[in-house]
Amino acid sequence: MAVRVAYVVDEAKDNVATILSNDIKKGMAIPVTFDGQEQQITVSADIPHGHKVAIRPITKGETIWKYGLSIGDAMVDIAVGEHVHIHNIEPVRGRGDLHADKKGSAF
Amino acid sequence: MLTRKEVHSKMGKWYGYRRPDGQVGCRNYTLILSATVYANSTVERVANTIYGAIPITHHLGRCQTKSDLKMTFDVLCGMAKNPNVGGVVIVDHFREDLCNIDEMAEEISKSGKLIETVNIRDVGGAINGTAEATRKAMYMTRELSTYQREEVDISEFLFGLNCGTSDTTSGIASNPALGFCSDRIVKEGGRSILAEFPELMGAEPWLKAKAINEEVARKIDSEIDAYEQRIYATGEDIRGSQPTGDNIAGGISTIEEKSLGGAKKSGSAPIQDVIGYARIPGKAPGVYMMNTPGHGAESITGIAAAGSQLMVFSTGGGHTISHPIMPTIKITGNINSWQRMNDTVDLDLSGILAGTMSLEEAGDVIYNEVVATLNGKMTKADILLERTGFAIHRVGLSI
Repeated sequence: MAVRVAYVVDEAKDNVATILSNDIKKGMAIPVTFDGQEQQITVSADIPHGHKVAIRPITKGETIWKYGLSIGDAMVDIAVGEHVHIHNIEPVRGRGDLHADKKGSAF
Repeated sequence: MLTRKEVHSKMGKWYGYRRPDGQVGCRNYTLILSATVYANSTVERVANTIYGAIPITHHLGRCQTKSDLKMTFDVLCGMAKNPNVGGVVIVDHFREDLCNIDEMAEEISKSGKLIETVNIRDVGGAINGTAEATRKAMYMTRELSTYQREEVDISEFLFGLNCGTSDTTSGIASNPALGFCSDRIVKEGGRSILAEFPELMGAEPWLKAKAINEEVARKIDSEIDAYEQRIYATGEDIRGSQPTGDNIAGGISTIEEKSLGGAKKSGSAPIQDVIGYARIPGKAPGVYMMNTPGHGAESITGIAAAGSQLMVFSTGGGHTISHPIMPTIKITGNINSWQRMNDTVDLDLSGILAGTMSLEEAGDVIYNEVVATLNGKMTKADILLERTGFAIHRVGLSI
């Protein structure tokens, strides 16, 4: 079995894959299995081990799916092959900065 | 050779120390316990002198709001009541409310174990206090050394689950493998504790689906929501704190991503109840969710105070954490971390992502290490005297 370089948890729903290699560089085409088949994704940045790559086009405000569940929203449009991380997605939960109306005592 | 199914059909056994209250420990420690911050140096001197003794020191026990002081008291007594402790020498320096040798000894005596106390002022200061406590600890340790292990069932095991310095390998490799191990322990009649509530934000639907009834499902929602409301009350953006800097370096982008990965430790077994920090879970086999913060040392101390004999701590980036009285097996699914942090991580599960080991097989590797460690095998951190895992959760202010 070939060494797997990227992994999709929920192959039918997720729009990101996790990189499992230390050697993924900008411009490389990597095999990623989802929607029932192996597909080639050309990465548009160096992506470190454990970081995510977009495997479907994502528009600003759209949900980022991993484990088949929401891990947050896209802050900008994200193209297939882009590095997906804190520069282009954000959490929805635990955002005190978005709930200034609820500010009060933490205890 | 037995098939996996045949191996799993056998109920696991382990060898432990039966305590007077019926609990079973996997260690037989003499505990030297500070009632307040001002007993710490005496406690350290005693523990440094006595073979195998474990010191518990902390910065609390005085000038706390009542509820916070009670929490400190409960956690300190919980350390002594944990079945891994055979006997305890409690040291205080003068007289405080609750965190004093008399009230602590009375609470701990419910366990029926050996208890000695020393008040530093009563015996004439720190030097005499050290001598007195050392002498008492010496006789206690000699008595404890006659205790024998006996064969017990896995149903006597309360399994601690935790994770830290998580990265994206945690959620797809080491945590789900730990979930398979937890499922096997529950199937054999044991109980597991899942904690770290702020790091379950976003995983509620996945967890609630395993709740035994509507009431437990409602508690899962309300207790995680209570944490979120406290975060809202700060008016702050949690990004940068959760996920933490090491999580982000490891590829985790949001709290929801961290939570979904972290929750996987609890496997597929039913969630029996949601319990408070340092509280004792019910008797039914299954998973109990303990409301602890994400702070690793505070979280695992709450689990130890509930009587857990052993914990598996799943890490992506590698970790030094180990609880002083609850052996803490560390596992990783990240090959880079295994290579870098090999001296404090016990099990390499990188085969999962390399495709050479299934999650179920990794779960069995963890299970076998758990049983061996219950029987006396030392973790790397135990041998190195890494005791970074003790911290008391605060619920009030210093005043």
